[in-house]
Formats: sequence, structure tokens, C-alpha cells
Amino acid sequence: MEEEERNGRGTKVRSLIEKATTSTALEVDPRLLQAIKSVVRYSDSELRIAAVTLMDLMKQDHSQVRYLALLIIDELFMRSKLFRTLLIEDLDQLLSLSIGFRRNLPLPAPPSVASLLRSKAIEFLEKWNNSFGVHYRQLRLGYDYLKNTLKLQFPNIQANMVRIQRERRERERRSKENFLNKYEYLRQNLSSIKGGILSTVDEIEECLDILNSKEELMSDDILDDEDEEFRPLELRQMRLDAIKEGDKVHENSDNKVIFDALRELYKLLVTKHLLTIQEWISVLLRVEVTDNRFRDSTLKEFIDIQNRLKSVKKKCEEAGCSLSSTSKHEEEEDFWEEGNAVSVKIQSSAPNNKNEHLDMASTSHKVNDDACSSRNKESNGSDTKTLAGRGTEVESNSPRSKLLAEAPLIRWSSHLDDWGSNRIYMANQRGLELDNHWGRVDSDAVIPAEKVAELNVHTSLYEEEQVEIQPCRAPLRKGGLCQRKDLKICPFHGPIVPRDDEGKPLNQNSSEDKVNIELGTDLVEQLAKQAVKNVRESDKEVAKKRQIDKQTLKRAKLAKIREHNEAVLRDAALPSTSRSATLGQDGDVTGEGNLSARDRKRSLASMLRKKVTSKDRIAQKLLTSKARDATIRITERQTWGSNALWVKPCLLARD
Amino acid sequence: MWKQIRDREEGKIRSESFAHRFKSNRIAQLQLSNYKDIVSPHKGAVNSLQIDLTEGRYLLSAASDASLAIYDVQRATDYESGGLISKHKCLFVVDKQHDFGHKYAISSAIWYPVDTGLFITGSYDHHIKVWDTNTTQVVMNFEMPGKVYRTAMSTLATSHMLIAAGTEDVQVRLCDIASGAFAHTLSGHRDGVMTVEWSTSSEWVLVTGGCDGAIRFWDIRRAGCFLVLNQSSTQLGRRPPILKCSMTTKSLVGQTLCTKPRAAQRKLSHGSGSRQLPIGRISAKVPMKQRLHPGMLSTQDRATAHYGAVTGLKVTEDGMYLLSAGSDSRLRLWDVESGCNTLVNFETVRLQTNKPIQLVTTQDSDRVFVPCMRSVKAFDMWSGNTCATFRGHYECVNSCCFSQQDQELYTGGNDRQILVWSPPRLIDDEANEGSMEDQDNWSS
Repeated sequence: MEEEERNGRGTKVRSLIEKATTSTALEVDPRLLQAIKSVVRYSDSELRIAAVTLMDLMKQDHSQVRYLALLIIDELFMRSKLFRTLLIEDLDQLLSLSIGFRRNLPLPAPPSVASLLRSKAIEFLEKWNNSFGVHYRQLRLGYDYLKNTLKLQFPNIQANMVRIQRERRERERRSKENFLNKYEYLRQNLSSIKGGILSTVDEIEECLDILNSKEELMSDDILDDEDEEFRPLELRQMRLDAIKEGDKVHENSDNKVIFDALRELYKLLVTKHLLTIQEWISVLLRVEVTDNRFRDSTLKEFIDIQNRLKSVKKKCEEAGCSLSSTSKHEEEEDFWEEGNAVSVKIQSSAPNNKNEHLDMASTSHKVNDDACSSRNKESNGSDTKTLAGRGTEVESNSPRSKLLAEAPLIRWSSHLDDWGSNRIYMANQRGLELDNHWGRVDSDAVIPAEKVAELNVHTSLYEEEQVEIQPCRAPLRKGGLCQRKDLKICPFHGPIVPRDDEGKPLNQNSSEDKVNIELGTDLVEQLAKQAVKNVRESDKEVAKKRQIDKQTLKRAKLAKIREHNEAVLRDAALPSTSRSATLGQDGDVTGEGNLSARDRKRSLASMLRKKVTSKDRIAQKLLTSKARDATIRITERQTWGSNALWVKPCLLARD
Repeated sequence: MWKQIRDREEGKIRSESFAHRFKSNRIAQLQLSNYKDIVSPHKGAVNSLQIDLTEGRYLLSAASDASLAIYDVQRATDYESGGLISKHKCLFVVDKQHDFGHKYAISSAIWYPVDTGLFITGSYDHHIKVWDTNTTQVVMNFEMPGKVYRTAMSTLATSHMLIAAGTEDVQVRLCDIASGAFAHTLSGHRDGVMTVEWSTSSEWVLVTGGCDGAIRFWDIRRAGCFLVLNQSSTQLGRRPPILKCSMTTKSLVGQTLCTKPRAAQRKLSHGSGSRQLPIGRISAKVPMKQRLHPGMLSTQDRATAHYGAVTGLKVTEDGMYLLSAGSDSRLRLWDVESGCNTLVNFETVRLQTNKPIQLVTTQDSDRVFVPCMRSVKAFDMWSGNTCATFRGHYECVNSCCFSQQDQELYTGGNDRQILVWSPPRLIDDEANEGSMEDQDNWSS
């Protein structure tokens, strides 16, 4: 009787399981599963029958059946201890049937379900091992065998979760730290940050004031006659609109400079300051500090500044500034003006375009002079007013102008933004989701300051100064001077020597030692040429200086031009040494060269020495050029480091 | 169990009988041990396992990655999961990196029978090495003519220190540790010798099983073999004189039987060596063969014990029976005295054919553990019935080793694992075992 009952029950659970595994779905019907569980729960005998049935089903030659059976097995395995002990006995068989790791027992068709079965079985084994591995050696063995001997890839769920959590915590911690660092930076540099922004705003407002004041003068009369007459409302409105339109200051030759300045400042405002302020506000909002007072007050301040910036921006836009117009404008700039404008800008944030390009090495003297005059003319004309307003400012910081005279000129580029700063940058500033098939991306990667500096290393190509080739200037038979321009030797009149206005060679020595020169040692000749050139240059310089002095008396602005020109000249003199020795060395070498030239005829030793000197000369040349390069590099680096202090404020001022 | 203890106290049961019962009870309950793990450092199949014969404490394992290791099976090196699992890490491991390590797979590693100071390894790199356990240095090196399949030392020997080596070569060589040279070369097999086994009743008798399917008995004092087992000469069941003895005293009888002739032998061997003396009862009972020796009848000489190679041999503790396993997947129980197959049918499924396997018997020789592919089966020696099947290895099992002292079985297989099969823990331990985690967990 009892036997029968058990059989009856057994068939019940068996039929339930068989019903559940005949489905084509990828999940066991939850109702059936529930029924199986409730039947099995209260009866060990049924559990045994269920275990046997399930193992039989696992042997079926169809992956779908095996898959569903495995799902039921997992449900029961996680719940019943008896089921575990029953199943663990045949674990190797179960694994071989579900994972198919034995070559002679591959998983049956269909392949798609087979692969699913396999991955599920691996996942379950890992889960079982994590939960019950301690109690069942077989589980540990099976797991170990599949993992270490067959090298199956386990999903490693637990470890993965731990790892992900750890990474997230790490990321949070780092971003917090980052915010704190920024906060501290802000605390220390609040005034300078604020100052930089506010000075730009002030300048914009000044510019706008200037424009408006001009406008008032112009529009007064229009307004006057308008008041007297009475018109219908529509007409009046139209007229008002027209006036408003007319109110708009239009760019003309008079206020071009102011507009340039305005555009420049506007661009700065939009591209830099607005973004910075937004960034700082977000930092302040997200940072967690114990002392909230500073944060709150700063936040308030920054929001005020942001509002002000926005209003100023609006004003600018009303005045006709937009980002596209500036970019159009800069293309029109010509070469010299750009160079000049930078020097202006650096010093006093005077109006000019932003993206100028400075090329000091390629400015030759003549161009320089031309530019000076053109600049003078220009300044005579339109921007008198503006510069008059700034004259005081230039005079007031004379130590600065002194420093400026020493300061090297560097091409404008984005690296000036971080001049001397020690900021850390996020690698992914935009917050883009970069996780893709290339693998995980560290979203909090930062670029350390030194790396930023490395990335910003400014390379400059050596550009040789264009040396003006002197005409031969030898007297011609038909009268006049030879105008041939040869580097060293005129094919008609021999070596090119400095000559006076009538074409007579100036240097007596050179004429006496003509043989000497013709021997091929162009040293003396060159030196002489250099000397003359130097003299001429200094003459020119003096003349120019005189000229400039006059102008500086009138306007302070010319001082900058001169400084710039001086720098240019200095640089022009420096590269010329690549063709001959430097000035200082010139004197020594000349004397020695003359002496040796005389001695040379007398002794063999002197001949030998002469050879040596030519070699020496080359060596010397190389050495000096190298040394010069080095010094240039050094000065450049120094300015990067030590001069940052004053370069930075000046940048801010420019901003 | 408590009743038995009281009976023993009262003298109702003899202590020996009590111990026997207790042990066999434990052996019957062998299962995969969950609380004892041997951490195998091997990267290849475990070919050989042996527990030392003096203390029953140190397990020597050799693997096909030319590594060998020794474990302390009684004291764990560390514990896992809150002391639930004891891990036995190897005390030391010798592998290819070792200066004197074997180059190729080690097929056999055995303890020196007298103490644990020495052990002997035979390898496929044609060498047999004798190691000092304490310094893990090679103290002796024998070069063999081919791959070494199996080495053996007599546990009884008092007058010789010979390592019997079965190699690829047809000859069985005996390496003398005392002199460091080959003492004997026993020729007779027609193919490589897979397995060698010393008799447990006489220190002079060696049994070898070859790839030619022959099992030969050698008296090492004489040239040639004196017995070749023939699978077709059979007798049904055990010999009548043994059957007369009660089962419980069987081992005792065996012992008395074998100790007596041994003593006689020793006396004789020390005496005149010129006269060929028969080895105890064997020679006495088979005078025909004795007379035929050394030029045995060719029909007898060509007899085979198995179809195919003989892969495993095991002499029972009393030395009266020999169990052999062949690549024909048969286990045969031989009566040593008559040289007959006893026709016991062991229910093996399949046996590994390409490697020698280690068989092991319990002390009273009523259980034999045989590696059958991925499982190890325990058979009743006399009926051939399967008592238990130990399934745990994921690949073929090569070797097994039984600790008589702890009633633990160690098995090593191609899956690089060494598994411990032990009787379940005592009752108080079991109570602990059912911890919170391993309970029924019905959600609804």
C-alpha cells in the first residue's frame, strides 16, 4: 500500500518534471517549477525520485531537455541538502553531460541551446562552488578541474562584483580628492581668478562706454528733431525701431580698433571665462568640505559673476560681436601688424585681435622700419583716443615694461593658458562614455601636471635670418656703381668689400692684403664686412631711435614698438653670427688674423697654423652656434619657469 | 560500536577480532574526504603513490612531469574555511629544476622499506635513483637499458638490498644499493616488464608481469624463473587447506605458514650456497617444475596469464595469493602455491591499458582497490563482488595506496589530483559538520 502510494507520488513528481522539460522555452514554467518544489519539499523519497529523473533527463540526447533539467537541478540544488548529496555523487557525470568537456561525449544538438547549456552549467558550477564548495569536496574538485586543468573560462561573478565595487569606490575617492584639490586651489587663488575675470569685464564695459559715448554725440540731433513732431503710433514705432537700428554703433574706420578689442575680449569672455566660472561653480557644488562658509560665499560670488558675465555678453552681442565675425576678421590681418599687435597686447591688453602670430626671426630690418612708420601713421589716426586712455597705465608700471623688454617673445598658442600652472587635468574632460569594445576605460584618469607640461612643450624651428646681400658697389667704367649682388665675390670686381660712395674700398688693410684675401680666407673680408654692417646697423638704429624717441615723447605706445624692434634687432644680430664670428670675438680674431696673415709668408709653421686656424674657425663657428642655441633654450626655459610670475599677470591682463 | 567496546572489555571479543571488525567497518565506509585535502604540486599525471612502511605517515608521490613530492598525511600544513578543511601541502618537491631531478616522467617511487631515510624513483629517462630524504640529494644512480616502469624492494629482505626494476627491456634487473651495481639480470620475458612485485612470504622470490602477458616467478638465487602462470590452468575457489581455517584466523595461519620457511631459508642460505635448495613449500609442492628448471618445457615457458600486457600485480599480505591486472581488463586471483587461476570473477568494467596500475589490498586481504579508468573500485577479494566505487577523479586513475594505519585510501590520477578517501568522521565531528550554510533552504 505504502509502496504504491510512493510510486504514485513518484510518478507525480516525475510527470511534473517531464512536463516541465518538454517545453521549448528557455525557462522552466514557473508554475510547474513551483509545483515541483512544493512536492519535493515535504518528501525525501520524491526528492530521490526527482534526482534520478533529472539525471535521466540529463542523459537525453537533446540539449533543450538537458537545459531545462539543469535549470530545475539548480533550483533544487540550491535548496535541498539531500538533493545536493544525491547529485554530488554523480557530479562528474552531470558536468560532462551539461558542459560536455569529454571529447567522446559532446553536447547534443541543437548547437545554440547546447552552448547556452554549457555556459549556464559553468555558471551554476561556480555558484554551487561558492555556496557549498566547503562542504563538498567533489564540487571543489570539479571546479578546480574545469578551471585549472581544462582552463575553462568561468564567469567569476563574485570576484567581478568585488572588483567592480572596489573600482567604483576608488573612482569616487579619486574624484573627491580631485575636487578637494581644486577647491584648495580656488581658495588660494580666488582673488586672482576673480581679478582676471573682472578685469576683462571692466575692459569690455570701458570699450562699450567709449562706443556709446561716441554714439551719443552722433545720435543727439536725430533724437532732438524727433521729439518735436507728433506722428501716428505705428509710424512712431517704426521710427523708433529705425532709430534703434541707427543707434547701433557700426564699425567704421574710426572705431575699428575698439571693435577689435571688443571682439577679442568678447571671445575671451565666451570661450574662457564663462567656462571657467561654470567649472568652478560645479566644483563648488560637488566638493565636500567640512567648512561650508567659504564655499557658500564663493559660490554666491561666482554665481553673481556668472550673471554679470552673461549680461556683459548680451551687451556685447547687442553691440555686434559674435564669434564667427572675429574669426573672419583675423584672416585679414597682415603679417607685421600681427607681430606688433602682440607686443601691444601683452603689455596693456590694448585692442587687437586675439589669434595673432608672431614671427620675430623672419622680420627683417627694412620691414621693421616700414612697419614702424605704418604703425605710427595708424596710431596717429584712429586709436589716439583709446591709447590716450591707456597711456597712464603704461607709464605707471615702468618696472613691468623693463621686464617686458627683457622678456622673450614666444609664439602665441594654447600652451600659454597653462603657463607655469600646476594643474592636473582629467584625461576625459568631456565626460564622454568611452567604454566600448576596446575594454574598460578609466574614466577618472588624470594627466599629471608634469605630463601636461610635457605635452605643452613648445618647439620652435630655427629660422635663419635673411641677410641682406650687399651690392658690389665697385665703380664702373661707364660711371655709377656695380649693383650686382653676390654673396662673396663679384665675378667682375672680385671680392665684395665695403666701399664708400665713390666705390673705393674702405678698408686699407684689405686692399694691402689683397693676396691674402684672395687666398680664400674670407675671414678678414667677412669681418670687415660685418664691421661695416654693424656700423651701418648701429647708424640705422641710432637714426631710428632718434625717430622713435620723438614719437615716444608723443605716445607711450611707441615704446613697445621700440622694444620689440630692439628685440628683433638683437635677434637679427645674433643669427648673423652663423655666417661670421660674433661681434666680441670679431675684434680678437681680426687682430690675430692680421698678424698671422703677415707672418704667414715667413714660416712654414705659420702656414701650418693658418690651416689650423681655418679649422679652428669652423669649430669655433659650430661651437658658438651651439652655445647660442643652448643659451636660447636656457633662456626660454628660464622664462617658462621663473618668469612665469610676471608673465602670468600679463596674460591675465591681456585676457 | 559501544556494545562492541564493552564486549571487548568484558573479554567476550578478542581484542584482535575487535580491531579487525572495527577496521573493516571503517573501510566499508570509505568516502571522499571533505576535510582532508592533499595539495598536489604536480603538473602531470600522478603515476605512483606510496605511504611509508614504518610510520604510515609520509606519502610519496611521483608524477609524469618528472616531479615527486612527499606529504605528511597526519599533520596538516594549514587549514581552510575556519578549520573545516585541512590542507596537506607537500613537505618538499623535487622537480626538473632540481640538480639531480629526473628528466622525464617518473613512473615509480617507493620508500626504502626499512626507514624513511631513503626512497627510490624510477623514471622514463632510463634511470633509477636512490634519494636521501633529508637532504633530497641523489645518493645512487642506476642507468637502465630502457624506460623504467616499476621498481620494487622486498619488505622482508634482511640479507639483501635489491631493487627489482621492470623496464622496457625484456630483462629484469636487480640493482644492489649496497654495492651500487646490478646484481642480477633475469631474462625470460619476451617483452618489456610492466610490473614487479616481491613475494611477501620469501625474500628471494620475485614476481614480474610483462607486456607479453606472462607472470613469472623468480628465485633470485638461481638462474631463470621457476614458475610461469598460465591462465588456462585453473582451480575453482581457494585451496582446501586454507578453507579449513576459519576466516578470522586466516591471516594468522598465513603468517605462521610463511614465517617458518623463512627462518629455515635464512639458516640454509647462510650455510652452503652450492646446493640448490627448494624454496619452502612451493618447491616442495611442485617438484615437477622444480625438476624441469632451468630449461623449462617450452609450453610452460610460453604460458600467459593475461591476453595483452600485465599491468598490475599485488601479492596478498600472507603471500599465498597473487592478484594480477591485465590490459584485457581482467583481474585474476592466482593461487601462488599451485600456480592456478582461482577463477574469481571481478566485476571490472575497464582497466587502463597503457600504463602500469597500482593495486592495493587491505591488511587482511579481503578488499582490493583497483583503479578502473576514472574510478577506483573496491572488490571483495574472494568473491570478486564490487563493494564500492570511488568516483572523484576526472581522468584515469593510475595509482592507489592504502594506509593500513588510518584506513585511508589515497588515489592519484591523470587529472593531477591526489584524493583522500577516508571513513567518515566520528559522531561528534558530524554534529559540527552540518553547519548553517549546508542546510535546506526552501524559499516558499
